[in-house]
Order: sequence, then structure tokens, then C-alpha cells
Amino acid sequence: MRIKKILVLGSLIILVLTISLAFNSGALGYYPLPLPGVRLLASWYLYTTLNPQYPVFTAMSPEAVTAIVWDYRGLDTLFETAVFFLAIVGALALMRGISLKVVLDSKNDNSDGGLSLICKTATKILVPLIIAVSASIALHGHLTPGGGFQGGSAAAVAPLLILVIFSVYFLLSKGVSEKPMLVLRTVGLLGIYFTALAAVFIGLFTGLNAYVFQNQPKFNAPVGLPAQISGALISGSLFFFNVFEYLAVAGGFTLVFILLSVPEEIVKSFVSGETHG
Amino acid sequence: MVEANTFLFNVFLFSLFFNVGISLYGVFVRPSLIKKIIALTIFSDTANVLAIAVGYRGWPSPEQPPIPPVLIGVEPSSEDLGRFINQAVDPLPQALVLTAIVIGLAVTLFLVFLTLQVYRLYGTTDVRKVAKLRG
Repeated sequence: MRIKKILVLGSLIILVLTISLAFNSGALGYYPLPLPGVRLLASWYLYTTLNPQYPVFTAMSPEAVTAIVWDYRGLDTLFETAVFFLAIVGALALMRGISLKVVLDSKNDNSDGGLSLICKTATKILVPLIIAVSASIALHGHLTPGGGFQGGSAAAVAPLLILVIFSVYFLLSKGVSEKPMLVLRTVGLLGIYFTALAAVFIGLFTGLNAYVFQNQPKFNAPVGLPAQISGALISGSLFFFNVFEYLAVAGGFTLVFILLSVPEEIVKSFVSGETHG
Repeated sequence: MVEANTFLFNVFLFSLFFNVGISLYGVFVRPSLIKKIIALTIFSDTANVLAIAVGYRGWPSPEQPPIPPVLIGVEPSSEDLGRFINQAVDPLPQALVLTAIVIGLAVTLFLVFLTLQVYRLYGTTDVRKVAKLRG
């Protein structure tokens, strides 16, 4: 055991020193880091992210990160959302058979539960603020740093706070349970799906060439979503992607938080049927 | 003669690699599944910071500090765009890290659920004890 530990430690030290040496001798093609400028690809991204003079290249978003995430490499982000979706499906599968109605019915004492009155009052003030801030992060995702995922995870803090301060029974009795959250998440995912296909549908109806995840018109595909609606810049599809990602992420995280906070005795009574040991 | 900025940046990079070593030690050697998950999140966060650091750009002069890759104003002139390209950091690593954070979070969530289930079924999160169980 001791020799194994020394071997692991020794190989880790060698690994760290080797990567450091590689970086220090210019493994990224440049020395010294940090680079004085950005790479050619990055300057191209920066040049075309909002450039009305080149309408066939631009993503019409002043925020380069969102433009890359949802426009330049949108398919990659779609698969990332799929991974997130599958992780929540896996979590649901592990917790299968546990009905949240039983959780709600299992509350036998009449006490309110949760933390003190001060905490509850502060939470009542904070929760609308959290929702408002998270919505602004998501809705301004194409203009300022932020986006659907960041806004969605910020929004999921609100039910988490209610879970801790008020208890899971309160949240479930308010209707924030499994079904509505699944619906919210599914609406978000369907929205992402249809926004990705929007240009293709327009192309089918007008007989023009169009691609999946197309935002602005391209050389051989003149179909494009409007970058502005009555003077307000919405960057074509980026705004809709952010809104639907916000719904999907907020719903998914709330679902997982609720499942994680189901009391242990109730879960035990459900899983005790399986043999083990 | 090594410049102070470059030296400090190299110290920062080396500490990241050191962090990678520590977190890999946690993943390989510590028996508790919870500690493995904690070490794994430290590892992925270190990798993300490393990616951001690779996309960082140097500080050419005090008048031209690096700025985030967000264009100010929605109708840029060509001077605005030129200034933007000369000062903004690389947006691509940030987009990659955004993806990595989402996927890392999804994987961590799933691992947490698996560990919880292992604890519920076997009463332990020690991998040595779980491996000895039959069934």
C-alpha cells in the first residue's frame, strides 16, 4: 500500500513538472505567455461579431462569447445541452418510483418547519429580486456578459433558498414540484430545437437555401433571422436561444434540487425493495 | 533577464499545474467517493482557469489594458472595431469554458446522485468497502 502511494505521488510530480516544462518551452506555439496579442482566429471572431459592413459574416451580437456559443459553433452547444438533459434524465431514473405526492402527504406534524421568521421574511424579499436579476442576465445575454445558462443557474438559486429556509414541504405545497418543472424544462428544450430549425423552415417555405442554426444571411443561403425588432437589437436567434436555455436550465436544476432534498426515510422506504449486501 | 510580468504569469501557471497534481492525487488515492467528487471538481475548475489563462493577452501599455470581449455600443465604427480587436481578450477559450462548466456541472450532478444511491444501498461511500460487497 505504501509503495503504491509513493508511486502515485511520484508519477503525479513528474506529470506536473513535465506539463510545466512543456508550457515554459512554448508548447502552445508561443513564448512567453501571456501573448502580446490574440491569435488570428480570435481576431477574426472579434472583427465579425458585430460588423454591419460584412453582413454575410457577422453574428450581430456585441458579446463575442454568446455569438460563439450560439452562432459560430451552435451545434456544439446543442450537444452540451443534450449532455445536461441526459444527466437530469439519469438523476430522475435513479430516483424513479419516488412520488413527490407521498412526500407532501408524509408531513404529519402541523408545524411550519424551516428557519426563523427573520430568515423567512428576508427570503420573501430576496426571491423576487433573484428571479428579476436572473431574467435580466438571460434576456441581455446577447448584449452583455451572461446568457441563458448563467441566468438559469442564478434563477435556480431561488427555489434552493426556499428549500433551505422554508422546507421542501412548503415548496411542494406551492406547486413547484416534479411535473411543472419537467414541463418547464421540456418547453425550454423544444424552444431550443425549434429556434435551431427556424431558418430551415423559412427556407423550406420560401424555396431558399438555409442551414440548421443559421442566424444571419450567408453567401449561399440568403435566409436570415432579423437582427433588430423595431430598433432593439436582438441578434437574430441568440435572444431566443438564451430565453429557452434559461427555462430549461432553471427547470432542470430546480427538479434536481427538489429530488435531492426528499427526506431520507421516504427514499429508504422506496429503495428498500432492492436486494443488496 | 526575465520580465516581472512573465515571471508572475509563470508562477500562476505552475500553481495551476500543482493544483492539477493535488486534485488527481485526491481522485486516485482517497477512498471516499465524496472526496473523489470534490477532487474532480477542483480538477475541472483548474483546467478551466488554465484555458482562460491561455486566452488572456498581455498588457502592452497602461493606456491599453485588456478588456472583456464585449463591444460597447451597437453601431460600431471601424475605429471602434480596431480598438476592440487591439484590446479584447480571446473569446474562444471563454466560450469553451462555458461549455465545460455546463458539462462539468451535469456530470457532477449525476455523480452526486450515484453516490447518494450507493450510500443508500450499501451504507458507505468507501470504495474499498463497496468493492468487497457482493451482489
